[in-house]
Amino acid sequence: MVNVLKRLADFAITAILWTYYIGGFILVFSSLYFVSFFFRDKRDVAYQQLNNLFFRSFFALLRTVVPRVTWQVSDEVRAIRSSVIIANHLSFLDPILFVSLFARQKTVVKKDYFRVPVFGWILETSGYIPAFTEDSGAEILLEQVGKMKTYLAEGGNLFMFPEGTRSRDGRIGAFDRGAFRIAKFCDAPIRVVVIRNTGRLYPPGRFLFNTRERFTISVESAGTLTPDYADETFSLSALMAKARTRMEGRDNP
Amino acid sequence: MTRDEITAHILQIFRKEFEIENPGLDDDLREEHEFDSIDAVELLLQIEKMLGSELTQEEKKQAMDIRTINQVCDYIEGLARIRQNVS
Repeated sequence: MVNVLKRLADFAITAILWTYYIGGFILVFSSLYFVSFFFRDKRDVAYQQLNNLFFRSFFALLRTVVPRVTWQVSDEVRAIRSSVIIANHLSFLDPILFVSLFARQKTVVKKDYFRVPVFGWILETSGYIPAFTEDSGAEILLEQVGKMKTYLAEGGNLFMFPEGTRSRDGRIGAFDRGAFRIAKFCDAPIRVVVIRNTGRLYPPGRFLFNTRERFTISVESAGTLTPDYADETFSLSALMAKARTRMEGRDNP
Repeated sequence: MTRDEITAHILQIFRKEFEIENPGLDDDLREEHEFDSIDAVELLLQIEKMLGSELTQEEKKQAMDIRTINQVCDYIEGLARIRQNVS
């Protein structure tokens, strides 16, 4: 009986959150996105800021309805600008958490999402990039990567999860080189960030939020990598190995 | 630039930039060496350096379908020819 009640609590809170996610978008944010579409010069900036506002409000609601979970996002992470951010990936919450942390944010999204009506259009207008391994989407990829250097120089962040998929057991999987390749292309620093416990709140493969446990979700910096990309001895795989070591906490930032 | 020189230069780029040692000239780069679209963007940058001129958007788009080293060399030969005719 107690278990049934707990499951019901999870269900009710999940329903509140997803109702806000969908309803908040349709009733409030869709009109803002529509109006912002007419900001021709800075349309992508306006969309990124709206994405940020939408997910900030989502996480404010999440913190309110799930008070047992505490959140610690370091000031160092909040202050990141003009960087390629890489992080471990535990939950569907991770990318939207990053969108909520940075007013200027871009990321790489699965190509299929660009085909979803409205959602795909927002992704494209926001300047997000289709996943690299896909055959199509080359035009968007070329356009967005071409703009990335200026975007980062102006204070924007590109965040990516180099594992490419959520970890089921907390261990860090193999890295894809896309994030590192873009950092080199843009001569940008790499900020290594470690996320903890989002997978406990919203585990992969589950529809319901886990709202009954007490734990802390943290987002912390594990250091900055500023390689000399022009150096003759520069190696992308060595840079990836170094980033991995930082992420795993096997050396001091 | 002769075909042999182009091939040698491209193999050097693959060794240095992509850490791919001695790929077969007809290897499918995506299937056999996990060469993806973002690598292709980096390769385009290297080709621009090699030719000493920027590629047009149309030329860049054409490159996204390339699969093998031989196709890369064909692509560069074509670009070099166009630039020679223009100058």
